[in-house]
Amino acid sequence: MKGLHKVIYPFAPDQSGAVSVLYELGGLLVVVDAGGCTGNICGFDEPRWQQQKSAVFSAGLRDMDAILGRDELLVKKMAEAAEKMDLNFAALIGTPVPATIGTDYKAVARMAEKAIGLPVLALDTNGIRWYDEGAEKAYLAIFDRFTKQDGERVPRSLGILGATPLDLGSLDAPQRMRMKLQQQGWERILCYGNGGTLSQIKSAGRTEQNLVVSPSGLAAAQSLRKRFGTPYRCEYPDLNPCWETIAKDLVGKRTLIVHQQIAANTLRKKILQHGAADVTAATYFMQKPELSEPQDLHLREEDDFTNLVRTGKYDCILADPAFRAAIPDYRGRFYAFPHFAVSGVLQGEEGSKAEGMVL
Amino acid sequence: MNSAPYSITVQELAAAGRNNIPVQLQSAKQLIYSSPATLAFNSPGAQGFGVKRAGLAVPESVMLLVAPGCCGRNTKLLSQIPGYENRFFFLLMDESDIVSGKHLERVPQAVCEILEFLQKKPSVVMICSTCVDALLGTDWERVCRKAEAEAGLPVRPCYMYALTREGRKPPMVLVRQAIYSLLEPAERNPRAANLLGYFSPLREESELYALLQAAGLRKIQEISRMQTFEEYKELAKANFNLILHPEARLAAEDMEKRLGIPFLEMQRQYRLDKIHRQYELLGQALGAPLEDSVYREKAERAVAEFSARHAGKRVAVGERLNANPFELSLALIQYGLQVEEIYANVSPEDFFYLRALAAWSPMTRVYTNLSPTMLNYNSGSAMVDLSLGADAAYYQPDAANVPWDDEKQPFGYAGLEALLQRMDAAFI
Repeated sequence: MKGLHKVIYPFAPDQSGAVSVLYELGGLLVVVDAGGCTGNICGFDEPRWQQQKSAVFSAGLRDMDAILGRDELLVKKMAEAAEKMDLNFAALIGTPVPATIGTDYKAVARMAEKAIGLPVLALDTNGIRWYDEGAEKAYLAIFDRFTKQDGERVPRSLGILGATPLDLGSLDAPQRMRMKLQQQGWERILCYGNGGTLSQIKSAGRTEQNLVVSPSGLAAAQSLRKRFGTPYRCEYPDLNPCWETIAKDLVGKRTLIVHQQIAANTLRKKILQHGAADVTAATYFMQKPELSEPQDLHLREEDDFTNLVRTGKYDCILADPAFRAAIPDYRGRFYAFPHFAVSGVLQGEEGSKAEGMVL
Repeated sequence: MNSAPYSITVQELAAAGRNNIPVQLQSAKQLIYSSPATLAFNSPGAQGFGVKRAGLAVPESVMLLVAPGCCGRNTKLLSQIPGYENRFFFLLMDESDIVSGKHLERVPQAVCEILEFLQKKPSVVMICSTCVDALLGTDWERVCRKAEAEAGLPVRPCYMYALTREGRKPPMVLVRQAIYSLLEPAERNPRAANLLGYFSPLREESELYALLQAAGLRKIQEISRMQTFEEYKELAKANFNLILHPEARLAAEDMEKRLGIPFLEMQRQYRLDKIHRQYELLGQALGAPLEDSVYREKAERAVAEFSARHAGKRVAVGERLNANPFELSLALIQYGLQVEEIYANVSPEDFFYLRALAAWSPMTRVYTNLSPTMLNYNSGSAMVDLSLGADAAYYQPDAANVPWDDEKQPFGYAGLEALLQRMDAAFI
């Protein structure tokens, strides 16, 4: 039924995606909530939080703040906090409470800019949409606000978009990707928002090419192409090398991949080249038309997945282990293809493995 | 400019008084910093017992969280705790629901589908609601009655309304009321008593059990020790409720009103004389003096030995632990330790302890985990030998740490002794 999840736990929400992009950029990140959303973001969806400080704050809303719409109190709190730290910018990150009372984020951001004298981004996330939509909003906002044409294009420079821990599922992944990309001849590799700084965002117009590793980075890559002529390509470069072994199992098999689109497409391309019969990519997250094959599917309800598996006659499924429990009667082969935004489990942690091999 | 983390001495704080708590110590007056030390405040559901886990204290219950997806995200952590598997379900709201309230119409069907899905019928379906419904003013009693009629089993609301955290009935007070709300009037057993306040049982060695038994009580009941719903119903037969945590007061009042069960109240203390005084008062209330000298003398010996070994050592005390951090600090200072720093929110009720602390250790500094300036806290700056509490460990990474946040609850002399044993081992 609509909205009912009996087995699959809710995925990372849009506010987590937004924080994930901005986490390392030196901003005052204000989650406009009563406290619980911030706890969810930091305590569950942001693996860097245990190791690396960031100025993530809860607005600490209380019932009368929401009922009376006390935006000026929020701005006052932001100004007082901003006085006490070195900051590059501030961001308002929406949650269900401001979504319910109809907060005008842009107006609050304008008030806050005047009060603290720094750029303030307004991200109208609402806790209802999934992480990729929040990350997309954050990428668009940060590049739109800070990136300027400030010099010549830097040869052999590559910007990476869509590579937050929510998609990569491992804190080592950016380094692994860098090494792989260096082997391809790229010398200056900028992983925006994950091991990168605001100064790299500012000079993003000078990179030779952008690599989009998840759909959350696509809109920003398109915007950068429009503004600066920077070409982009979509590929997920951090597939576990064991995909080749798995591909041998999939020869002639009807296969379902459930993941974010670019990871699914990259894997699909490889296993089709190795002889898989046909491959459907399904996703609960954004399904960009330009990245879709005709047979691909967008999933919304928990039942969509169980029904797809029941009727699809797939020989093999590659998906996060969290999906396995929803299809106890499935008798085909299930390969774990972890996705942190689904299971909240970092690669290598307990729970990242399931039957079959792990991608 | 990065400013120093805000702190204040207990002397200054006590002098300011309960009506003049500095704004830097008031969570509603500032942004709330999010660090690993604040997780229990910002997301109680992820640490220990928040509303979600507490709501499942009723044996054989399941929970339907009716909320936007973000509210259920970290519930996966709870589902990994033994005994909580397959007990959480979600009815996710979309944008139209937060305007129209249409999600409420789906609740009865969702409850029925959960019952179909489960192999064993639960005792109750707890409906956990969140901030959106707080703002919509949803009448959950009515929604639950409708679901109950369609599903044919009890359906009860519990409220995870973080917006009302500092209100008259905050979420952790209401959930304590909710978990006893299924009890129905029953014939009283004069030899039975309930311990209210915690969602997990007291440590077995607590002398409270023995003292109550010596006073003639044969059944000392805790909701967390009830394995089945039938056992849970026995709670309604208690002769009285003994409140051990002030957040259970509303539940006790409700049980007195509905079930006719009167209540008494005690608090967890770590000072020997206060523990003794509470037992004296409890004995007077019961009309049967409680003879605690054996336990008291044993604890006094433990304190004396501990003090002889560790007097003068420096400690820091957090708030994520099984104690009031100010009361515990006072006890430790009286036992000869130096409490350098306390990381805790300050409430007006704490001034009883703060005034005493100001006399014993005026220069002890109080920080609040929640202040934005704690981003600039220089870890380990206090150079302590030991930190107490999981949050204090974050600030003092190089010091030994006793988290003292076990699920089983320490209480009385035995709780004090257990703490001293842990600290003793950690100092060594």
